[in-house]
Amino acid sequence: MDFNYILDALPDLMRGLKMTLMVSGLAILLSCIIGAVGAALRTSGFKPAEYLVTGYVEFIRGTPYLVQIFFIFYGLPSLGLRLSVFWSGVVALTLWASAFQIENFRGGLAAVSHGVRDASASLGLKRWHHALLVVFPLAARAALPSSMNTIVATVKNSAYLQAIGLVELTFVAVDRIAYDFRAIEMFFSICVIYLLCVFALSGLGHALEHRLNRPFAGR
Amino acid sequence: MGQASNHATGGSQDVCVEFSNVDKWFGTVQVLHGINLTVGKGEKVVVCGPSGSGKSTMIRCINHLETHQKGRIIVNGIELTENKRSIDRIRQDIGMVFQSFNLYPHLTVLENCTLAPRWVKGVSRKDAEALALRYLERVRIPDKANFYPSQLSGGQQQRAAIARSLCMSPKIMLFDEPTSALDPELVREVLDTMAQLASDGMTMVCVTHEMGFARQVADRVIFMDAGRVVETAPPDEFFRNPRESRTRAFLSQILH
Repeated sequence: MDFNYILDALPDLMRGLKMTLMVSGLAILLSCIIGAVGAALRTSGFKPAEYLVTGYVEFIRGTPYLVQIFFIFYGLPSLGLRLSVFWSGVVALTLWASAFQIENFRGGLAAVSHGVRDASASLGLKRWHHALLVVFPLAARAALPSSMNTIVATVKNSAYLQAIGLVELTFVAVDRIAYDFRAIEMFFSICVIYLLCVFALSGLGHALEHRLNRPFAGR
Repeated sequence: MGQASNHATGGSQDVCVEFSNVDKWFGTVQVLHGINLTVGKGEKVVVCGPSGSGKSTMIRCINHLETHQKGRIIVNGIELTENKRSIDRIRQDIGMVFQSFNLYPHLTVLENCTLAPRWVKGVSRKDAEALALRYLERVRIPDKANFYPSQLSGGQQQRAAIARSLCMSPKIMLFDEPTSALDPELVREVLDTMAQLASDGMTMVCVTHEMGFARQVADRVIFMDAGRVVETAPPDEFFRNPRESRTRAFLSQILH
């Protein structure tokens, strides 16, 4: 393996990494918001909203991710909605991750006891105060481990977006291989870079988990 | 069945809680049958009865945690309807303590106590904390203010829950089997706190099996069975000379 070649390619790889982080960062942020709102709707008792959210989750889980990406990038323009490569990527990744985050948050909501709802009601708390101040923090804590899995998967699944020509980390590697045939150097490099990203995220997740678990440490 | 007419015996003329002919169903199962009950201001009422007799359901109707289907419930002069405003209004006057404490596990004891005053009444953080500390002192756990519920014993958790309710300055306190989830040696401290609250003149409705507490504190004891009020009497009379055979059977089961 030629390490000088890797050093030489590093600026390109960093540009790719920047794009990977931007697309996945946006998708993670948006999918967590959609996940929380979607899970709330899914358990709201309002049937049309429940069916809509369930249908969405089933659709995303039941179709190949690559097909979803192509549908958005190649399919939507013929319906009159033309998105740039970047935004197609963000939308595809967000839609994919949201479906899983909805399920993660739904699990979190189920873990919140009915007792605290009685307590809030008896204290006269408004429903949305209860939702924001009591249910959300408790559900987020319960959902965190599975939610972290989805967040890590979101970063890794940004690699698929090279298929529509988004110049992210995997695209850069594949692109250089097409010219220089240095497959082992390039794939080794991007594997290490992806691993480092995932380790950083996992570390962050564990720290957050530890912090959210503090009140429960005595148990 | 001896459907007693339960009107406030002595004490104040003011009526805090009034049930007239209240029926409630869970689906097709009727759990409350024509409940009549009046609780006067400052009165302490203990409700007992076998499990499934509807006593918890009844007191949960008082602050509309459960909805009744027939009859009328009037709390502090406001009738309980589906009107959200009137429910919120009534709930602000009623504190409730639960069998399983129901503290907010992610908040410290102090934060548990200040949450509702701050968000419901708009009290400033500083004032809410001062108020909370005063009540935590009253239930004798001021040193636990910055602890999380999981770091407290059951008795301490229940006293924290009582303090949390008191921080909303309720006019009525409801207790739904407050000592049933506690280890035997922790029951006393919670009952003492409740007795102290009673001696301060709080209006109280307690569902409990602690007959010693009923003897010591109650103005009236109500016995329920199968969704009906079977008997109601001052504690002396209730324990010494119960009228109904069903009451006698129950008492012989729980008093040794």
